[in-house]
Amino acid sequence: MLSFFRVLHFAFQDIVRNISLSFMTVIILVLMLLSINTLVVVRAVTEHVVSQVKEQIDVSVYFAHDIKQEQMEEIKKYISAFPEVVKTTFLDKEAVLAEFKETHKDNNNILNSLNELEENPLGATLIIQTREPRDYEKIITALSIPEYKDIIESKTFADTQKAIERISLITAQIEKAVLILSALFAIISFFVIFNTIRVAIYTQRMEIGIKKLVGATDWFVRGPYIIESIIFSGISMVIAGAIVYAVLQFLDPYLGIILYSEGFLTKYFQNNILLIVGIEFGVVLLLTIITSGLAMRKYLRI
Amino acid sequence: MITLSQISKQYTKKSVGLDNISLHVDSGEFVCIVGQSGTGKTTLVKLLIAEERPTKGKLEIGGWDISRISYRDVPLLRRQIGVIFQDYKLLEKKTVTENVSFALQVAGTPHKRIKNVVPRVLDIVGLSDKKYAYPYQLSGGQKQRVAIARSLVHRPKILVADEPTGNLDAINAHEIIEILKKINDFGTTILLVTHDKDIVNRLRKRVITLHNGQIVVDKKQGTYQL
Ligand SMILES: Nc1ncnc2c1ncn2[C@@H]1O[C@H](COP(=O)(O)OP(=O)(O)O)[C@@H](O)[C@H]1O
Ligand SMILES: [Mg+2]
Repeated sequence: MLSFFRVLHFAFQDIVRNISLSFMTVIILVLMLLSINTLVVVRAVTEHVVSQVKEQIDVSVYFAHDIKQEQMEEIKKYISAFPEVVKTTFLDKEAVLAEFKETHKDNNNILNSLNELEENPLGATLIIQTREPRDYEKIITALSIPEYKDIIESKTFADTQKAIERISLITAQIEKAVLILSALFAIISFFVIFNTIRVAIYTQRMEIGIKKLVGATDWFVRGPYIIESIIFSGISMVIAGAIVYAVLQFLDPYLGIILYSEGFLTKYFQNNILLIVGIEFGVVLLLTIITSGLAMRKYLRI
Repeated sequence: MITLSQISKQYTKKSVGLDNISLHVDSGEFVCIVGQSGTGKTTLVKLLIAEERPTKGKLEIGGWDISRISYRDVPLLRRQIGVIFQDYKLLEKKTVTENVSFALQVAGTPHKRIKNVVPRVLDIVGLSDKKYAYPYQLSGGQKQRVAIARSLVHRPKILVADEPTGNLDAINAHEIIEILKKINDFGTTILLVTHDKDIVNRLRKRVITLHNGQIVVDKKQGTYQL
């Protein structure tokens, strides 16, 4: 216990007496944390956008005009059984008509000719959403069997197939890019921190040697560095957190408009706060402790 | 107190530090170790404080065989032997008092005892008025006296000094030697590595001369002769 308090005391003394070095270390850590947070934001936004795009893609199945309810129910059941299908929405004839009138409310010609008809000329529609855009192909194939040839009048997919393919490709690439970017960032931060600490310890190698020569155990040499790492990690977390918070306040109104989601980032951070803070603190602490351990090993062997 | 039996230290195939030396130093002796540069004087000091291990032979200090001392026991050994160096080896970011206290703090000495011991050793080396100075505010002679004070806090039975006056002028060097003599008078065994002829000749103590890693002369009340 006595030795713990002494190590703690040495740690604080080191921080204060090497104030410029302490300052630099904290700045480097803050910069690294900000990059991590930038990445978190980029990820969150792309994830959101990608999922929005995916949600907006669907396949509409237009049933022939004179189809019985049971037949349509059967197809709906058949389609819903696919694991790729997330959601199916059934619009009956009247709903389709209402929607049709709504989309063409400015076109009197169409409305008039519709009104002249006694019977609703439109068939019911089944809207199908799948998990991934690329799954539509399978659904379409499943629906293109001879039994349904007379029941299903048309499918929108034929027109949108190219678009869906392209979106699948783009979203997959965005996801991949973000992943590679994250990995790259992790590697760069490791080297930046490793080097910062290595330089810091190199300048203090004389001290490490002296401490060992007057009979200090490794714990007395290493302990203050570990405690300094914890303190630096904590301080840089607080500073980075404050900066991120301020930036979120500034960004969120704009993003809210673009993403149709109010307070999107603030909510995202709030929902994931423990995970983000925990991972960041863990990473920073582990990095500083491991790298200082690695960098110091050579000088401890005296 | 110190016994070396056929000690050799081979750094690399070509670099020999010490070549088969045997030596005995009694408790309370004052021994000068002289020799030209690169003859193994510092190597001997490093073996004594286990900064290096002998390649061959047996090295005993106070009956403790330290030829194969374990990494864990090294700090214990160093708390029993005082060492001072030509370059003082003070912690630049710590004051005089903190430098001296450090050696006790790392040994787990209670605070009360540290507060008691540190002013006393600073008094012995005549630095009571520099307690709160940092090393950069001290002269070379004063720095070496801080180092001596630090080496004394554990009341070591042995004090090893590797060219402690190498960076000092004659007057400061003389002062340091006087302090070492005083410490020797209290019963501490002293090993003084030096190549200052005047100092050796004036001391009239045992002189061991090294050459190419071997002992060539070992004389009671010897003089410096090469
Ligand atoms: N770490 C080392 N690695 C290789 N050779 C060394 C090392 N330290 C000392 N030596 C060699 O050992 C010999 C004795 O060195 P040293 O004990 O420092 O001499 P002195 O202190 O008498 O000047 C020299 O030839 C020196 O080059
Ligand atoms: Mg030497």
